[in-house]
Amino acid sequence: MSLQHLWQMSYDSHTIDILRNSKYAIPIIQSFHLFGITALLGSMVILNLRLSGIGLRQLPMALLAKQVWRWAIGGLLLAIASGFLVFLPDPARYAANYAFRTKMVALCVAVGFQFLIYRKVIRSGTAETRSFSNIMVACCSLSLWFLVGWAGRAIAFLG
Amino acid sequence: MSIVSWCHWLQNTAWATSIRQSDFLFPVIEGSHILALSLSVGLIIMLDLRLLRLMLPTERVSKIMHQVMPWALPGFAIMFVTGLLLFFAQAEKVYTNGYFRVKMLALVLLGINAAVYQVKFYPAMAEWDLSESVPRGAKMIAAVSLVFWMVVIACGRLMAYEI
Repeated sequence: MSLQHLWQMSYDSHTIDILRNSKYAIPIIQSFHLFGITALLGSMVILNLRLSGIGLRQLPMALLAKQVWRWAIGGLLLAIASGFLVFLPDPARYAANYAFRTKMVALCVAVGFQFLIYRKVIRSGTAETRSFSNIMVACCSLSLWFLVGWAGRAIAFLG
Repeated sequence: MSIVSWCHWLQNTAWATSIRQSDFLFPVIEGSHILALSLSVGLIIMLDLRLLRLMLPTERVSKIMHQVMPWALPGFAIMFVTGLLLFFAQAEKVYTNGYFRVKMLALVLLGINAAVYQVKFYPAMAEWDLSESVPRGAKMIAAVSLVFWMVVIACGRLMAYEI
């Protein structure tokens, strides 16, 4: 079964129909999307301030890398789940939107970076002290996540 | 002059009109307002989560507060300035919007909530800062803060829909 079949099936499903026709469903789901974004970006700001050595220097990186990380991933999962529910009632419109396409590419890169590189960096011993490479990793991380955010906002303005 | 007619005048001033009609300014101000959530609410909830012992329970509340607030305050400044500009640009429509009113009410309550913390719990923080339990009142304040910030975000989102 192709991806297109899958979209068509969900498009035709009764549950998605309820979302599409309810006045409040999408705005409320979008609010949850924003709760997720707030938790994710807030956590990433904290982790990156600490990693770059600009702020929160009195808090141990090893501790933040465990405990703040959880809230970042929780926020990400909430944003992805709610994002799907916003996308499914109207997939064709989103798929045709250049800001949405940019957002999806940036999201894949950001998630890849987060789990393949970032996670290792903040858990290593070298994350505690300020270094050029830590600053670079922090810049990449924040740039990627805020690119996802800006592209997401642009969806509304590019029709 | 009534508030509505003042709003009408405000949004029709030359610069409010230019913000509203700009293909560039309005999206940038609105996007900044939303993404500054990361610096303002995103950081404040970290403090709330610590008070509720859901995050970093082994670190002093006062330490987290002193480390996080210098970043949260500029975040709230960006929120306030961009929010004010968005209000100017569409004052009449926004003022009469029910969700906007609930949002403003929730913000006032959040201000009172934070003030109660400052007066009642902040001065004696040294006494309970590292102990296992956070005073029940301080936990209540953190819970109220979390819930009302969610109300603020949701009302902000719902405002844009004319429902």
